[in-house]
Formats: sequence, C-alpha cells, structure tokens
Amino acid sequence: MLTLLRRYGTIIGCAAILIFFWVSLPDTFMTARNWLNISQQLSMLIVVAAGMTIVMVMGDFDLSVGSMASLSGIVVAVLFTLGVPVWAAVSLALLVGLAGGAINGALISFIGILPFVATLATLTMFSGAAFVVSGGKTISGRAIPEDFSQFSRGGIALGDWGGVAVSIPNLTLLALAVVILVWVLLEQTTFGRRLYAIGGNSEAAHLSGVAVRKLKLIAFALTGSTAALAGIMYASRVASANPTQGSSLMLNAIAGVFLGSTLSEHGEPRILYTIVGVLILGVLDNGLTQMSVDSYVRQILVGGIIILAVSASSLTKRLRTR
Amino acid sequence: MSLLSLKDVTKAYGGVPALKGVDLDIASGEIHALMGENGAGKSTLIKILAGVVAPDSAAISLDGTPVHIDSAQHAYRLGLRFIHQEFNVVPALSVAENIFMGRAYPRRAGLFVDWKKLNAAARETLLKLGITHIDPRQKLATLTLGDQMLVRISSAFVSEAGAPARLYVLDEPTAALTSEESERLFTVLRELRLQGASVLYVSHRLDEIMAICDKASVIRDGRSIDTGKIADITHDDLVALMIGRRVEEAYPRQLTPPQDHIAFTATNLTIRGRAPVSFSVRAGEILGLAGIANAGQRELLRTLFGDLVATGGTMALAGHPYRPRSPADAWRAGIAYIPRERRSEGLILSRPIFENTTLPHLKAQSRWGTFLDPRRERRLTAERGQLVRLKSAGPNQRARELSGGNQQKVVFAKALVGDPRLLLLDEPTRGVDVGAKFDIYTVIREMAARGMAVILVSSDLPELLGMADRIAVMRDGAITDFVAAASLSEQALINLTFGRATG
Repeated sequence: MLTLLRRYGTIIGCAAILIFFWVSLPDTFMTARNWLNISQQLSMLIVVAAGMTIVMVMGDFDLSVGSMASLSGIVVAVLFTLGVPVWAAVSLALLVGLAGGAINGALISFIGILPFVATLATLTMFSGAAFVVSGGKTISGRAIPEDFSQFSRGGIALGDWGGVAVSIPNLTLLALAVVILVWVLLEQTTFGRRLYAIGGNSEAAHLSGVAVRKLKLIAFALTGSTAALAGIMYASRVASANPTQGSSLMLNAIAGVFLGSTLSEHGEPRILYTIVGVLILGVLDNGLTQMSVDSYVRQILVGGIIILAVSASSLTKRLRTR
Repeated sequence: MSLLSLKDVTKAYGGVPALKGVDLDIASGEIHALMGENGAGKSTLIKILAGVVAPDSAAISLDGTPVHIDSAQHAYRLGLRFIHQEFNVVPALSVAENIFMGRAYPRRAGLFVDWKKLNAAARETLLKLGITHIDPRQKLATLTLGDQMLVRISSAFVSEAGAPARLYVLDEPTAALTSEESERLFTVLRELRLQGASVLYVSHRLDEIMAICDKASVIRDGRSIDTGKIADITHDDLVALMIGRRVEEAYPRQLTPPQDHIAFTATNLTIRGRAPVSFSVRAGEILGLAGIANAGQRELLRTLFGDLVATGGTMALAGHPYRPRSPADAWRAGIAYIPRERRSEGLILSRPIFENTTLPHLKAQSRWGTFLDPRRERRLTAERGQLVRLKSAGPNQRARELSGGNQQKVVFAKALVGDPRLLLLDEPTRGVDVGAKFDIYTVIREMAARGMAVILVSSDLPELLGMADRIAVMRDGAITDFVAAASLSEQALINLTFGRATG
C-alpha cells in the first residue's frame, strides 16, 4: 500500500489534475490543439530539464542554465545584427553553451568547487555577459532573419481535426529529438551507466575505473549545450532576444526533475520521468491560465504541488524503512 | 538476575521476515555475545532495542518491568547505550564535540558553551578507555580510522546524571581497531562488568568472544538457536550453531602449488618518499602482506592499482612494463582490487548487482564499446555469482538489500568479471560471517589454482597464515622480511611485524 502510494502518488495526483481541468474546461482543455500548444510552450523547458537530468543523475545540479539560455539567445541575435548567416550564428551560440558548461564542469571536477557555488557564480557571470554583449537592450525587429523566426512557427501537418488544421510544431519535434538523444545517452550507453554509478558512490566508481572527473566535465558541457539550445529556441519563438528571457527556466527544470524522480522506484532521476514532471508543471500552468487564475497565485500553487509530491515521496520512504 | 529480557520478537520488512521469534535474556553484570551469520537478524534485533525499528511483536522487559521502546531517546533514558559501525560522527568537528554529540554541552551563564569544561570532560571520558594520545580539541578528521572508532566508542561511556547506563550494545566494535586498541576496549568492558553493567557484544571474531564473553546466544535465519555459557562451549560448536553445519577446517587447502613463472614484479618502488620496495609474485601464488596498522600495506596496494602514483621504481605485469596512472589503467591491464571498505569503496549500494559487477569492464561488455547490453551483463553476473557462491534474488537486486557477506561476494564477482591476472585484496573478509568467509577463501584458492597471482593484505594473522604461501612483512613502508607461511607461528609473525627478534 505504502509502496503503491510512493510509486504512483505523483501519477494519481497528475491524473486528478487532468480530470479536474477536463471537467472545468470541457471545450478547450482535452483538445489536440491545446496539447500541441502546451507541448510547444514547454519545448524549451523540456530541453533544459533533459540537460539538467544529465547532471542530476550524478547528484549534482546546474543553477546557471537559465542565464546560459539568455546568453545564447543574445549571442545568436547579436551575430544576426552583424550579418552572420543563421547556421553559423546558431552553431556559435551552441558552442558558447558547450564552453560555458565545460567551465562549470572544470570548476566542479578539477578544482573541486561545490556545484551549488560554482554554478551560482557562473549564473551571475553568464547573466552579466548577456547584458554586456547586448548592451542591456532587447534585440528584435529586422535584425532577426525571417528564416530563423519562421522555424518556430512551422510544423508538420497532421491533417484536420474537427475542421481545424492541426500540426506538430517544429519546436516540439526538436524537444522530442533532444529527449530521445538524452534517453539513449543515459539509459543505453556506457556513459549514462557511469554517470549513475558516480551518482550512487563516486569513490567506488573511481575505484572501479570510472574517469569521474572527465565524465563530470562532459556532463556539465552537455547540460550547458542544452541550455544554449533552449535559449536559441526561445529567441526564434519570440523573434527577439533580451538578457533575462531564460531566467525562469532553471527553477522549473530542477522542479521537473525532482517531481519526476518521485516516480522512479529508487528515487533516482530518469529522463522519461523528468518529462512527466515537466508536463505536470506545464499542464497546471496551462489549465490555471485558461481558468484565468492570477499568475502569482499560480506560482504559489505550483510551488505547493512540488512540496507535496516530494514530501509525500520521502515520507512514505521513511515509513517503509521503519 | 535478569536485566533485560526479550521474548518472541518478530519483525518483517515488506512481507519478508527478518525475525521469526527471537528470545534473549541478559543478566546484570555479564558480557553476552550475540552471534549469527550476516542476515541472521542481529542488526534488526539491535535496531529494535535502540528504538529505531518498531517490532511487529515483542515482549521486552527491563528489570522485570515491561517496556515499550519507541524512540532512540527513550532507549537512552532506559540506560541502553549503542556503539555501532555506522555511528554518526562529524569529521569536521572536534573529538570532544563528537563525544558529546546529542548531549547537553556544559554552558556558561546558560548560554555560551564552556569549551574548557567540555574538553576536560572529554579527556576524562577518553581516559576511561586508557586513551591519552588523542587531544579532545583535535578535529576528528585528523585521526586514523582506529582512533576515530575509539572516539565513537568512548562517547558511549559518557556518564550522565539521570540516565545511568545499564547495558552497552557493541556491534563489531573492533573491526577497525588494532589488537592493542581492542585489548584496551576489553579492559574497559571487564571493568564495566565489575561495576554491574551488562554488555551485549556482537562480533564475527570468535576468539574475541571466547576471550571476553560470559555467555553467548546464537540466532540463525531470524530464530533463536541456543544460549549457553562460553565456558561450556568450544569454538567449533559455536561455528556449527551459527551456520547450521560443522566446518572441518577454517581455511580450504591449497589446490595446486604456485607456478614457476613470475606474474608481477615491483622493483625499487618508492611511494610517498618512503623506502623503496621490491618484490615479485608468481602466477598462482598468494603473497600475504603483514604489518601493524599504517605500515604501508594499503599504500602499496593502491600504488599497484594506480590510485597512488609511485615517485620512483618500475613495475612489470607478465613481463611487460606496467605504469598505471589511474584505477582504469589497472583494470585494463588485468589487475583487480578488492578495497577495504566495501560499502564506501567497493559498491554502489543503490544500483543493481549486475551494474556493480560489470562497471570496471563496461566497455568490453557493451556493443561497440558504447551501447549497453544488459542481457549479456546479467548472464555474466549470474555466472560469476555462481563462482563466488553469491546468494541473491537475481542480478537485478540492489546491492543495498544484500547481507554483508553477499555484498562482499558481489565485490569479488566484480573483480572476476575481467579474468584478472593479479588480484589485490585489502581485508577481504572484514565484517563477513564465518560461512561467507569460508566461501571467499575457497574462491581465492580457486582463482590461485587458475594461475591468478594474489596479494593479500590482512590484519587477521590466522587468515594470513592460513591462506598465504609467502608473507612479506612491512614496517614503516619497507618490506623487512619475506617468510614462508607454512613454517611460521602467529607469535613469530607478530614479532616480525614489530621488528622484535624472533625467539
């Protein structure tokens, strides 16, 4: 019974939320269009949360993803104003993410700074860099190439659905691709297995021949890259970039991973559960917005649900061992 | 006069019974041994006494009055004191702070900690154990493992008004202690007995139990098997009671003599600026490394394993130069290592058995060295598990759920997955019960018979003498003697480790 509650408590809560919105919003909530809309709104968060899962598997976390997303959006936009072609600007912005993540990784694994401190420091640095590069202004308008902003409006048509044309947005497809990549990486390769080993016991992993420092560095570099990708996606979606636009991503990504990890048998983060966690947060946001609940009240509710899920999970765990 | 009596204690975890009906009766002023294999239910019983685990049913009485121990604080007020291996200590705090952790610190003006008084009280407590070499103001982290254990132990001997200690429960207290330190602890226990306190003593070391205990209770598979006076029972009887069958010999016999060719050589190896070390091991040979604590055995193993890098000298494995820079290099070259601390160094407790066993060999066990092949891993794990006589629910079981002996077998299975040429063992049977010990010795013998060279570090002298073909004695980082194990007595070996002339 307790095991059931612990494993499926989050799922039951999730189902309750869905039914509640379905009943309260009978015409708009359970429609393909709304769900595709949710998936598009969530695509950036899904990408960041997927990257966050990679480091949280090792028991670490990265606070700098939000400001990295802002920075990469700014980098891409500033490169556009200099006339750099889209492919080159996007690649360079991704490289900035890779390098920023590698800096985090180096600080944590080779110098030995706690992830909390190291990424808190780089959070402010990346954020500061975004302001310096952009001059503190929002970059928008004609500087952003049509091709770039058009990408996020496109999608793959699925056909008609009750007279309404429905298509899977490109951003959703991109997020899906990232999720599949991270899933393969974490669940199907030696790299992922070793990250889980580090998360379980890094000393034992080291003595078992796992190159703990190198892998940590790579993992943080990957997380930085996903943050940069999310920033680029965001810039495409709003056809502009400002130095704070990624800032909400970090807390929500960590919350998504935590929420998701309450679903796994032994409480470890797993990518597919992370996606469930992010979806719960996104659906809640979507439904409450449609019910015109004030956005500040929404924040309180979302925070409360995270506390509820995580404390239910740890309470039942404690009861079970007694 | 019965001090504490437990009747028909039962406890199941999620439907799996851990205790199926245990009785225990401890008299005032006796040292009572609680014995049983790993997984027999000793830890659960102790946790129930400590108020950490709630029994499903139990009749517990103290001085004839029924009690219901519902929290650690309650157990403390009843006069029960616990010393266990996973005792909470804070390495960053001082010795005195650790000793008085969870108790009221002496205060000045009811507000500020009176450090002088605290340190003095700590010094006094340490003195009870005859310890004068530990300064209470030292950070715990600066002490050796053995000294840290002494600090943990002494914290149970803090006397406090209002809750006089009646029963001390010690779980494997000597696991990290040298023989002199253990001896000191025994003196204190005998002293406590004279004062009328009782001791419940849990240990896998039979000779200790024979030496200091008055009575012994044996539990097996969650049931009480027998209780008797130590004076009326022999060593072999105790072993038979614990594992449920008679064991003819403590150590399995050598299967084949060592081969002639050299498997591994170290020449003038310098480690951390100590004297150079040279030795070689033949294929199929078990080389024992003896020495008192910190004589350099552990550092030597870690250097062979690439975790420490030698500052000078050379090594050769099967005739080829061997220069490891990391444990990964060692595993690749065919050297496997069983670390001293299985829980913190040997295993990833939260992961399944098969992920533990294949971790050092993951590349070789995956498709194109990258994509996992869990089926193959599970098959291999089951195979190696059989080799080491592992008892588990299957390769998917988490390492945490196994008993200590079976956990150690997983560490062995892990070492054997890559078919190593050289096996490095650091205290391979520490905290392992008699039955599993014999299994592990058998595995070591079988590996040697296959031509594996083995280097065995152990503080258990009978184990060294019983298992090794040859023993290298280390003192201050240098190898001072090589002796054949067969011709050596325990006393002679002790003399060698201390550098005294053999008489």
